[in-house]
Amino acid sequence: MFSTYEELKQWRENTIRSVADDHLQLNAFHDQLMYQAATIAMDKIESEQGNPPAPFAFFVMGSAGRFEQSVWSDQDHGIVFDGDENVQHYFLELGEEISRGLATVGYEWCEGQVMASNPLWCRSVVSFQDQISEWLDEASWQSLRNFSIIIDSRVLYGKEELLERVKHEAYSRLENHPSLYARLVDNFEFIKKGVGVFGQLLPDQRQGMKGDIHLKETAYFPYVNALRILALRSGAMAAPTISRFEALKGKYPFIEEYEKDFRHLLEFRLRLRQGAENYEKVHLLPIDRLTKEEKQELKYLIRRGNQLFAKSKSIVRKELRL
Amino acid sequence: MDATFLMNNLWIIVCTVLVLLMQGGFILLEAGSTRMKNAGHIAGKTVFTVGIVSLVFWAVGYGLIYGEGNAFIGFSNFFYGDATTMGEGLAGSVDFMFQLAFAAIAMTIAFGGFAERAKLIGYVIFAILFSIVIYPVIAHWIWGGGWLGEHGKQDFAGSTVVHLTGAAAALAATMILKPRIGKYNKDGSSNEIAGHNQVFTALGVLLLWVGWFGFNAGSTFGVEDAFFGYVALNTQLAAGAGAIGAMLMVWAVTGKADVPTTLNGALAGLVAITASCAFVEPWAAVIIGLVGGAFVFFSMRFFDKRKIDDPIFALSVHGTVGIWGTLSNGLFATPELASVGRPGLFYGGGFEQLGVQLLGVVACGLYAFIVSWIILKVMDKAMGGLRVTEEEEIMGLDISEHGGYGYPENLTRPESKSGA
Repeated sequence: MFSTYEELKQWRENTIRSVADDHLQLNAFHDQLMYQAATIAMDKIESEQGNPPAPFAFFVMGSAGRFEQSVWSDQDHGIVFDGDENVQHYFLELGEEISRGLATVGYEWCEGQVMASNPLWCRSVVSFQDQISEWLDEASWQSLRNFSIIIDSRVLYGKEELLERVKHEAYSRLENHPSLYARLVDNFEFIKKGVGVFGQLLPDQRQGMKGDIHLKETAYFPYVNALRILALRSGAMAAPTISRFEALKGKYPFIEEYEKDFRHLLEFRLRLRQGAENYEKVHLLPIDRLTKEEKQELKYLIRRGNQLFAKSKSIVRKELRL
Repeated sequence: MDATFLMNNLWIIVCTVLVLLMQGGFILLEAGSTRMKNAGHIAGKTVFTVGIVSLVFWAVGYGLIYGEGNAFIGFSNFFYGDATTMGEGLAGSVDFMFQLAFAAIAMTIAFGGFAERAKLIGYVIFAILFSIVIYPVIAHWIWGGGWLGEHGKQDFAGSTVVHLTGAAAALAATMILKPRIGKYNKDGSSNEIAGHNQVFTALGVLLLWVGWFGFNAGSTFGVEDAFFGYVALNTQLAAGAGAIGAMLMVWAVTGKADVPTTLNGALAGLVAITASCAFVEPWAAVIIGLVGGAFVFFSMRFFDKRKIDDPIFALSVHGTVGIWGTLSNGLFATPELASVGRPGLFYGGGFEQLGVQLLGVVACGLYAFIVSWIILKVMDKAMGGLRVTEEEEIMGLDISEHGGYGYPENLTRPESKSGA
């Protein structure tokens, strides 16, 4: 269908406006773009180096993994293959090609190097499983962050079963070491404050963000992190936050009332930020441009996210009898 | 008006300023001994907690120490505002100011145990409670006519009252807060988390050293016989000996003359001589300082091995050495100089004074530790943790608690990457 990244870029530019106000359509479109980019990259590597030396899967993580991208997004992806370590170089090159392609299409390079071109995120099933054990053993702040990143993942191209094997290992390890759930709660305990003691919005003070609310850090992360922790507790494998809401409602009825808030937040974000000119700006909401009603709406969504996180945290702690 | 009265008051107000200036020493010492990302926080919290202590001391602290009461606590003179002068001794307000500066020092020492990981609100609440239920109680016991003073406990300028009390609270805090991220490895071995500026630390020590003349020599409460000069002499000798003792010890054991240890040695000499500066001879001051300096090195290693993370060595400098300083009276106090209590063991006084000193250390150390522990545990529960979150600790308290770095050009604000 597309043979160059440039064509894909064109397609993106021509189409994105028409889907930018609908969360599902927008993310389905992102999936298509990333899938096509991966296909072009695969064709290129195949033509240069031959067929893949082992079965593999290209998966996305972060907001793409959760099917929650906004109009702009950065790259977070990896490759898992079922073979010896000596075939890794093939997939690293594929990862590099995909990253290049995605960058051309309009997905920023990941500053944290969470990309299939990085050996940390391009490895065999067994090696990923070992890595996960290591992260959980170490249980440091960074290693638990890495762990959470791979939990929010979804196969876009290739064999889904490979990623499932990796995730199974992760979930069963957690089940055998319940104290790790508490460490994961600690890991996400910090929530950037969005509403002050007088009920006012608290804009960012950082350079380039002055007067803006960082929507992702302030409003969105508490929902995502709460549902991830509950999903890990329950063994629910799906990455999208909305799927997690659906899967967990039975076990945790209290979350049901927050699901509509989260959907509202996704809609709110698209409504207000679909005109953002780049990735950096897509999370920033200048508060002086908000109407009174929008400010109220935002404060409500921020408070609800904080509540949801606090409740989830205390439920997990109670379950663990901490 | 009587010239001696005026000179006494002038001398003590000068000493008050010197003791207050010691806070500047603590700011430099603590900031230098910790990491860049916490520098603004450490400096700022020192200033505002001095503010809290001042108001609380005015409202209730002074009255709890020096008010009419019983052997355990005073209970009058709240909201201090005595403008009258007696024409002899010290004007009430001068005495009040001098005592206030001491209370603030004990508080800052206690906060050493909070360094680099406690929530700002924890400082606010603990500053209030420490200044009501911990410091005044011990100060009353020893200086305010309480039961330990009546026993003849010698603590001239506050090795126990100020230093040990502060350190005991710091110990409770550092145990409840637990070690900083990265301090200990999985196998139990410890990592050195180096302070970011040894020059600051050294300047801080020097500023404290100078301020200490207000602390010790000012504790004469007057200029009579110019005895403050003798106290200053002992103070100077012990500080020098402390630096030398610590440096020799660290060099002998590790082969390197570690700078932070040497600096802590000078402080150790000062802390050690604080209790005994008016009761001992200069040669004894040298011994007291030397031993204090040597002790501080071993004490730092001891706490490190016990996995008690003491970022600015408050436990060793003020706690361990505060105990040594207090006990040293029981060994070196001379019959001529022991205006309170009895002479020490080496002057034929037997074990009596040593016993009194030991009782004081145990009673005060335990009281300060236990009450601090209870307060901090309750705060920990009620506040959902006394410690900042991991993410905030990693980004540093300058940003997490205050929204701006002490060194804005040298550090960039981290982007949160929690959802990838």
